Amino acid sequence: MTSALAGIRVLEIGEMITAPYAAKMLGDMGAEVIKLERPQAGDRARHMGPFPTEEVDPERSGLFLYLNTNKQGITLDLASDKGREILGGLLKRVDVVLHNIHPPEMDRIGLTYAAVRMINPSVVMTSISPFGLHGPYRNYVAEDLTTWNAGGAGYTNGAGDGDPDMPPLRPFGSPSSYAGGAHAAIATMGAIIGRDMSGEGQHVEVAVQAVVAAMAGNIMAWPYTGKVQTRLVHNLTQPLEAMEAKGGWIWIQALEEHQWQKFVELMGSPAWATKPEYSNKIERTANWAQLRPLVWEWVSRQDVLDLCLRAQASRVPFAPLSTMKTLLESPHLDERQFFVALDHPVAGQLKYPGALAKFPACPWNAHDAAPTLGQHNETVYRDLLKLSSNEIAGLRRAGVI
Amino acid sequence: MAGKPLAGIRIVDLGWVWSGPYACMMLAHLGADVIRVESSLRPCLLRILPPWPGGVPGSASAGGGTFTNNNLGKRSISLDLKTPDGLEVARRLIASSEAVVNNYAAGVIERLGLGYKNLRKLKDDIILVCLSGMGDTGPYREFVAYGQGQAAMSGFTRFTGVPGRPPKTAGFVLADPVAGAHGAFAVLAALRHKRKTGQGQFVDMSQWEATLQMVGDAVVGYQLSGLEPQAMGNRHPQMSPHGLFRCKDAEGEPGKLLDAWVSIAVADDSQWCRLCEAMDARALASDKRFGTLQARKSNETELEAIIGAWTRQKSARAVTERLQGLGIATFPSSTHLDVFEDSNLRERDFFAELTHPAHGRHAYPGVPWRMNDTVVSVDRPAPTLGQHTEEVLDELGYSRGEIERLHSVGALK
Repeated sequence: MTSALAGIRVLEIGEMITAPYAAKMLGDMGAEVIKLERPQAGDRARHMGPFPTEEVDPERSGLFLYLNTNKQGITLDLASDKGREILGGLLKRVDVVLHNIHPPEMDRIGLTYAAVRMINPSVVMTSISPFGLHGPYRNYVAEDLTTWNAGGAGYTNGAGDGDPDMPPLRPFGSPSSYAGGAHAAIATMGAIIGRDMSGEGQHVEVAVQAVVAAMAGNIMAWPYTGKVQTRLVHNLTQPLEAMEAKGGWIWIQALEEHQWQKFVELMGSPAWATKPEYSNKIERTANWAQLRPLVWEWVSRQDVLDLCLRAQASRVPFAPLSTMKTLLESPHLDERQFFVALDHPVAGQLKYPGALAKFPACPWNAHDAAPTLGQHNETVYRDLLKLSSNEIAGLRRAGVI
Repeated sequence: MAGKPLAGIRIVDLGWVWSGPYACMMLAHLGADVIRVESSLRPCLLRILPPWPGGVPGSASAGGGTFTNNNLGKRSISLDLKTPDGLEVARRLIASSEAVVNNYAAGVIERLGLGYKNLRKLKDDIILVCLSGMGDTGPYREFVAYGQGQAAMSGFTRFTGVPGRPPKTAGFVLADPVAGAHGAFAVLAALRHKRKTGQGQFVDMSQWEATLQMVGDAVVGYQLSGLEPQAMGNRHPQMSPHGLFRCKDAEGEPGKLLDAWVSIAVADDSQWCRLCEAMDARALASDKRFGTLQARKSNETELEAIIGAWTRQKSARAVTERLQGLGIATFPSSTHLDVFEDSNLRERDFFAELTHPAHGRHAYPGVPWRMNDTVVSVDRPAPTLGQHTEEVLDELGYSRGEIERLHSVGALK
């Protein structure tokens, strides 16, 4: 059994989420990933947590540990001449360079595609940045909140309260960064497949702002109708919202007539359900302010998982609002052996989200926990770059690695 | 300029609604010949949903804006898979393809007679990717899964929202395109494996598990800290200020003012000092209430009021230019109008101007990446339902007479 990306060596110069996530996707499918971090501080994700306590602990950051499984970690100071010389040696020996160095910083250290191509003409180089390498905002800095809003996903979110003082609402987590990484992985795979045939390298360039705009499914309302959607217009078909049941929250959704009828049966066919103001989805939506407390009252007396299973048995698409605890305890994910346990020398054994898909012929694979800072300096610099122990010790003394 | 990397690779798109079709659109963006198999007897839900040009509901055949936006670059063939002749056409189409992608509920593809065992008989090295809601095994295999339910099950919804108010869904249905993007990656991995080894495979994929990839940091973090994440509105555990601030109203639709907001995320103390400088409030920089991240987190409501009072007098664009000049992550909360007029996206040629047979010419969000040495383009708009039926049948070797017979027995509905 081989891997889909057997024989592909990736150099990741990544921080935070986008490039590390894309490199993880490639590594999980069998590519050999070498992750390059700055000496001392390392990847900024090491400082983001969540941590075991309130103390920042670079070897126990949930964000870093998750995004950097299956990677060898090295440190290298790209601001130094010696560091850039060593980088040249690495670039000669890899098939893919995946990075999210901020564009002006790329200019400063000279890590342009033209320069990389001189060293290794067949390399696939993927540059991920918030706004791309070309365009008026190339030098803009961004956090996840920034790209989420710049791609048009933010403004329409947070609907339903009709409260104009409530700002557009960001979703939990860092969705635009993960999506940026996933789309970069798609484009990089495309370039690898192209290179398999032609032998030619390629520069792939991904703008996270554009990724978010590509995912915004309702965005055609503007060019089609000239109407600007806002979070304040409350016209969603109902019922479609989270309600609190016993033991947790549940997503209540029964838009189609057959779903609503089944839901009414589940509720024991109460008399109010036969009222004309709740007789079809247009009426139910229009009269949701009166209907909502009736539904809430019943839902609040049900056990969350039990209600979800009973609804699903009737083809009504209710879903529990998972917490991290319920995810880790999910019997479904357990039966599919989704989570995988990996040992980390400092953080210990932890469970990580597993295969993004089950590939019987070329399995997704998690073999190593994230590297500690510079964990593989010896192996990579000695075995790959053929540096002597003395040279490596010298680099360490000079703070280059 | 090289050709597109997937040129000549045919993908059969048995998608439904969003995630599967989005996955196949990404493959079309890389040059694959994606053929969407549909039926006018049960058109894709997205075909009948708004928005419609001019706000006037159109036909399922034409397709509303969520359909046309998520099916760029594809061809469409109309088949009634419940007729033996329709199924036979699908089999011939699949035999000419490298991969079949579907996001039906688990088990549906087998009931149609197009399960992996049957497909292998047609083509030994076929790739079948099933992107079902919960995957092909496990106690929830039969769950009816919609995007918002997936966002809930993946942990997004529980921790989205404002403390003290019910959780909120993540706006546009995040789980679908995310699962779709992972689906496209899975197809590409399987295609490369096939190129190297000649082996096809059945890839079992769950939209839930794909979406869960995006909360991995929280899953690991929970085990480290023993604490669940918290819904905290727009705030962030490691950055402050981190939020959306009201600006001067801006014109949206002609003659109509909309509330405008700017996103500001301050990552460290030095950025905070620069923000104070921008607000002409240097005294604030040395104010003990806000000097450190911890202090700013403790006094965040006050902090936000101060910043909000400053932004309220300015346009979101002016705030952005000022703060980006100081290296602070800032951008207006773009409306869809702002996105289509965004000078950065325009200069990157992100939008594809396409003439749809029913809707005429419009700009569509295009390919979100660029390649220096390969053509990156959207070559055709979303198809009308069955627009390419005859063209594809002709390519599969059906004669004029056979096509007419298929029409007459209702196989091409």
